[in-house]
Amino acid sequence: MASKIISATIRRSLSPRTLPHIRPLSTAAAVTAAAEPYDETAGISMKGVKISGRPLYLDMQATSPVDPRVLDAMLPYFVSRYGNPHSRTHLYGWESDEAVEAARAQVANLINASPKEIVFTSGATECNNISVKGVMHFYKEKKKHVITTQTEHKCVLDSCRHLQQEGFDVTYLPVKSDGLIDLNELRSSIRTNTGLVSVMAVNNEIGVIQPMEEIGQICKEFNIPFHTDAAQALGKIPIDVNKWNVSLMSLSGHKVYGPKGVGALYMRRRPRIRVEPQMNGGGQERGIRSGTVPTPLVVGMGAACELAMKEMEYDEKRVTELKDRLLNGIRAKLDGVVVNGSTESRYAGNLNLSFAYVEGESLLMGLKEVAVSSGSACTSASLEPSYVLRALGVDEDMAHTSIRFGIGRFTTEEEIDKAVELTVNQVEKLREMSPLYEMVKEGIDIKSIQWSQH
Amino acid sequence: MTTAVPPPSRTEIFSLFRSILRSARQFPDYNIREYTKRRTIDSFRDNKTLSDPASIAAAFSDGKSQLEVAKREAVVYSLYAPKIKSIMHIKH
Repeated sequence: MASKIISATIRRSLSPRTLPHIRPLSTAAAVTAAAEPYDETAGISMKGVKISGRPLYLDMQATSPVDPRVLDAMLPYFVSRYGNPHSRTHLYGWESDEAVEAARAQVANLINASPKEIVFTSGATECNNISVKGVMHFYKEKKKHVITTQTEHKCVLDSCRHLQQEGFDVTYLPVKSDGLIDLNELRSSIRTNTGLVSVMAVNNEIGVIQPMEEIGQICKEFNIPFHTDAAQALGKIPIDVNKWNVSLMSLSGHKVYGPKGVGALYMRRRPRIRVEPQMNGGGQERGIRSGTVPTPLVVGMGAACELAMKEMEYDEKRVTELKDRLLNGIRAKLDGVVVNGSTESRYAGNLNLSFAYVEGESLLMGLKEVAVSSGSACTSASLEPSYVLRALGVDEDMAHTSIRFGIGRFTTEEEIDKAVELTVNQVEKLREMSPLYEMVKEGIDIKSIQWSQH
Repeated sequence: MTTAVPPPSRTEIFSLFRSILRSARQFPDYNIREYTKRRTIDSFRDNKTLSDPASIAAAFSDGKSQLEVAKREAVVYSLYAPKIKSIMHIKH
């Protein structure tokens, strides 16, 4: 009798109803079955690479995982509160609009701005386009000159090239070998018809933090609008639009543990900066960016910004500790490791290392169990070394072997130790095979070798 | 003056702590699971020194809402857990 009760309870507890063992719903499985070619027993095999499990993620500058608290804030707006925030006539529209305005205030709080100064867009690339092209087109009668740096994100550089084709002048400021711009050079390149200065706050490839307050002071002195791409800086370093004296700031959702596909543009109201809209339409977002505001994404970005404000100190302390652990762990076992970019004025979560006497592509091929990137995600399709490292003056061979480790909120000590182990193994393996390294060990100076032509 | 809510007792606080850690274990994702455990332990430790009953009650109610979030998200993450886990599961 008792055994029957016991077996019934066991059967019940093992039934597929118990939560953690729920099978994915059939439609979701059908959709993802095509995207995940795997062999249940042997792990994952994709693009000719076999790995036993999902790699550990150390590429936070490319994108960051969505925080579960952010997902929790977004889901109701996908499931039941699906109204268009611009519908004025019913509850669905009103509650959606309320959520968008609440998110706007959350984003504004993080950068010490007013909610009226935030415009939601589809991402930092769109914000950069609106800022660079929109401002210059608006003021094109009087202002013909743009100042930017050589290490900006591709979208800013591409927008500037587009402006050059239209007849504007663009000055690309060089950077010093630590990645920071020279303030005197900035000052001397300002002309009377300069319409915009665009300098990114935290570089996505090398992580250096530019001297924002000083640049803001110079722009205020000459009364030039100051635009900054703060996509990598948001939620990581304290941002204050008044201290920095920025007129325009591009923000991105998916770098602060929010969803992809959303961003925000800060536009100063006092003194008012005007832009020509790049997206024309029904006049949403004060005419700057027409189109339905994607409520769930915007709510997600707002929640992510609020979380970032609460967690900034904790995350920063932790990320710095992890970065030290990573760098010291690698340096303890390897020599010839160079940190690209300034070590003082730097965001700790972005560690860009170059390994001497090692070939970059082969290093990356061997590091398949760690998800890292070399150069930025934007330039990794081409074989050229990254233009940012070239602007720093890094030698071609060192630029090719650069690896960017991105540490974030969810990285653990064990992952860092594992990454150190895998990197050190791979670099040692490659150096053992490298004749150049043998020569260096014997004391020959590589640069003084006369390679003979056959 | 609103009627004062009695501040949470030690047992209530411990029970909340254990419940959040229990939900943390339900996450199939290695990083989220470790983060939830670590963040809970750290924030309960930091709030241990709070003496003002209003701030204790505020921290407690914040903790309770975080518990609800953790419970819901553990379900959602379990529904969409990838078949192959992170290599951290295998090596450890």
